[in-house]
Formats: sequence, structure tokens, C-alpha cells
Amino acid sequence: MNDSRYWRRTLGDWGGTLILIIALIVVLFPYAWIFLTSLKPTVLVAQPDVWLFQPTLANWREVLLESDVPRYLLNSVIVGLSTVLIALVVAAPASYSFSRFKTGGGPVRFSILAAEMLPPAVLIVPLFLLMFNLQMLDTHIALIAAHLTFVTPVITWFLIGFFDEVPKELEEQAMVDGYTQFQAFYKVVLPTVRPGLAAAAIFGFVLSWNDMFYALILSGGNNKTLPVAIAGFWTFRGIEMGKMAVAILIAIVPVLIVSFFIQKYLVKGLGGGAVKY
Amino acid sequence: MITRRSFFPFSVRLIVPLALALLVVLVYPLVFSFWVSLHDYSLTALEDIRFVGLKNYIELGSNPSFWNALRNTLVFVFGAVFLETMLGFSLALLLHRPGHRFTNVFRSILLTPMFITPIAVGLMFRFLLNQQLGVLPYLLGKLGIQIDFFGSGQALFSLILIDVWQWTPFMLLLFLAGLESLPAAPFEAARVDGASWGFTLRKVTLPLMKPVILVALIIRGLDAFKVFEYVYAITRGGPGDSTETILYYIYKVAFRFFRMGEAAAMAYVLILITMVLVIILYRLMTPKEEA
Repeated sequence: MNDSRYWRRTLGDWGGTLILIIALIVVLFPYAWIFLTSLKPTVLVAQPDVWLFQPTLANWREVLLESDVPRYLLNSVIVGLSTVLIALVVAAPASYSFSRFKTGGGPVRFSILAAEMLPPAVLIVPLFLLMFNLQMLDTHIALIAAHLTFVTPVITWFLIGFFDEVPKELEEQAMVDGYTQFQAFYKVVLPTVRPGLAAAAIFGFVLSWNDMFYALILSGGNNKTLPVAIAGFWTFRGIEMGKMAVAILIAIVPVLIVSFFIQKYLVKGLGGGAVKY
Repeated sequence: MITRRSFFPFSVRLIVPLALALLVVLVYPLVFSFWVSLHDYSLTALEDIRFVGLKNYIELGSNPSFWNALRNTLVFVFGAVFLETMLGFSLALLLHRPGHRFTNVFRSILLTPMFITPIAVGLMFRFLLNQQLGVLPYLLGKLGIQIDFFGSGQALFSLILIDVWQWTPFMLLLFLAGLESLPAAPFEAARVDGASWGFTLRKVTLPLMKPVILVALIIRGLDAFKVFEYVYAITRGGPGDSTETILYYIYKVAFRFFRMGEAAAMAYVLILITMVLVIILYRLMTPKEEA
């Protein structure tokens, strides 16, 4: 271990840490700026050179108490929860079957992956026309149907990875104990993958919560969701900027909080049991 | 212990709900969409829907707006995915130092952008980069740098940078997971042989990471192809049509011009492109069963 090598390592360590700190600032600065903007009095919002000011909650009060944003928030929650609930009920037994019995084999796994990757542009035209003909545009049901098209495959793919890790002996023992096949699945296997179910549900909810494309076209009216409402601040009139900042924070803060809990499950979920990292 | 006789085995009965759900929300719309793509189907003339065969597909070939959108999208996808891979890999290498004190905090925060809704990211950066209101042009102005981020010429590149902000974390997540699961033995051998850091990276790390990198590239590429929100939030395709991407163009044709048949045909072209990539991805993800 000579001197130059020691110095190179130490400098490398410091250099690396410096780069990470810069990356951290790049990630955090937009959040911080939007937060500051949400506290700015209206007259100062359009002035990027003002960093010190008397903070006000006027924007928050107006958005939370005097606007329709809370209603749109509720729409997002209703659509997200309904989508995830339906997706879990249909996906959990199926992904258990794909994992445990290799039902359908490769073609089935491929179809699920393909469905997951399908661009929304492909489905928006038929879904819009169908809802138009059924006179169901601007309803929660229209949007839930659209969100099921991607949340269901994602949750299925996710759960396959978790079921793959349950040892076969578990169900065999349960069936020796007198359970039927379905009881063994429902009462023994399902509880052991509870963390996987939770992670899949949260991830599915986030996907539904974040969607703007389907929501904009299928329910852009009274039943609009939060992302569509945020997009409505597009006009960029000076008075609206502070409120836009509040609406953006309402949409992203809950997701930022749950993201810390699902990060570690995400890789396994994305791999769908097919990629063994 | 099967007591009740049934025509279908247990394994098949388990997938019936999923199959029914996907039949209704996925397969039926796909078939209907193909039918629409073969018709002159305009929302403004619903009483006059005529079968036109492959006309909608053939006319795409000579539609300059479609090709422009496809070109913009490809520039966007290659630019964004390239930068995200490079940055994501560098950050993953820096974060992959076991025992470093703040590694977990750094990682958790650096990953956050990939979870938030793209429309919020688009509006946030539209505000931050705005010529008059934005804090970044203001700070750059102090340094004597004048950039109109959304002017003609650089608007598409600015959209790429926004994508890099939001999706480099996805690459970082996959690469970190990949690095953490690499076997220790080859690195031990390289260390014993006195291999330099650069040599180890090129001859040990990169070859071992190749499958993970390929999978990450394709998943991200497929996802970047769907870019819509940044365009909708910031440029609406402009200046001119320099940032009109394929999804935005399909949206415009279907819901601004109401030409459903043409939009459905474009969507089917998009399916073809997507499926080629998904087939490659699937092969990569299941190497042992296929080979």
C-alpha cells in the first residue's frame, strides 16, 4: 500500500461523495422550490429573485377549503382503491397458479409482460369509443376499467415473484392436515405473501394515482382526478402559480412517503420471478 | 385429496377471474380497435362509418406529421435512455459501497422522482425553467448564461433532461440491485491479482452486469416511448412540431381532429414496434428455460 494509492483512494472517496451530494441537490431542489412557492404571497410568486419572505398559508387555505381540489383528490382515491381491489382479487389466485403449477407456461408469462408494456395510445381509442357508446364518459367506472388494463398485469407480474418463494412443503403439509387445495392457498399460502400483496397493492395504487393520460380523456369533467386537475393549471396565470404548487404537493407528497416503504420490494416485483438478480 | 370432481383442474380454475377481466378490459378493446383501424371512423361523422381496408395504414407512409412524431420520439428515447443509463450506472457504482454511513439515506432520496406523477414533474420544470418566472434561468443569468429552455432547437433536449431527472432513479434501482447480487469471488480474484479499479470495472463488473443492463435498457426504452405528460404540460408539441411525440400526435389526431380510424391504425403500428422489444425482453428475462 504505497502513498499515491492511498491518496487516490481517499480523493476518489471524497469525489464520489461530492457527486452524490450534487445528485441529492438536483433531486431535492425542485421539491424545495415548489414548497417555497406554495408559501409565497401571490405578488412574489412570479419573482424568482425573492428567496426571503413572510410565509403565508393563503394558497393552502384557498386550495384546501375553497376549491374543488379536495373533490378531485377523493376521485383519485376512489378510482385507485377500486382498481387495486379488483386487480388483487383477480390477480392473486391467477399468479399463484402461474407460479405453483406453471399454468400456461411461457406464452402466458409473455402475454402478461406484453400487456404490462402496452402503450396507452393503443387502448385509448377503443376505450373512449366504448364508453362514449355506453354513455359512461366522465364516470369512475370508465377510468377504473382503463386503469385495470395496466394495474392488473403489473400486480400479476409482481405477485408471481412473491409466490415463487413460498416452499411447496407448506401447502403439502396443509393438505395433509385436511385442507382442500383452495383452502391451502387461501388460508396458508396467501398469508405468507402478505408483504408482497401489500407492496403490489401500493405500487398498483401509485400507478393509478399517477395516471393522467386515460383520466384526461375518459373523465376530464366533473369526475376528474388530481393529475387532470393539476394539468388544468396549464394556463400559468400569475395568480394561479401558488395554488398550482399546493396542488402539485398534494399529489406528490403521499406518494413520496409510501415510496420509502416499497422501494425494497420493487426489484423483485419488476422481475416477476423471471429475473434472479 | 381432491374430493369434488371438476371438468377443469384446480390450476385452471384459479386463472378464470383474471382471464375474464382481461378479456373485457384488454382483449375486446384491442379487437374493436383493429376493426376501427380498418374503417373511415370519424367522431364528427358517426352516421357515415365506411370500411376502407388498409387505407389508414397505407396513408401513414406518406404522412409527414406521423414520421416527424416518430423521429422526435426516437430522438427522445435514445437520448433519454442513454443519459439515464450512464448516470444511473455511475451513481449505482458510487452508492454500492457497503458500510458507507449515509448510503441508505442517499439511495432512498435519490429514488423518489420515479414515483411521482409525470404531469407534476412536467409542470414543476415548466415553472422552474420558465424564461420570466423560472429560478434556473434567473440563476444562470447571474452567471451570464442565457438559455431559452423551451425555444426552438432545444425544447426536445429540455424534455429529455426532465425525463433524465425523473427516470435515472429507475436505472439506479435496477443497477444497484444487480450490483448487490453479483458473486464475490471474481472481485476477490481481481483484487488478489492487483487489478486496477478501471480494469475490474471493464473486465469483471460490466460483463457480469450485462443481463441486468439489457433488461433495464429495454424496460426503460419501452416506457420512454410512451412520453406524453411532459409534452402536454410544457410544449404541446411546439415550437412548430419539434416536440410532437408519437403518443401526443395520436392524442391530437383522435381527440382534437376526431379521426379515430387513423389514430387506431397508428396505435397498431405502435403495437408492432412494442412487441418486437417485448419479445427481446422476454428472451432476456428467461434465458435458461428458452435456451
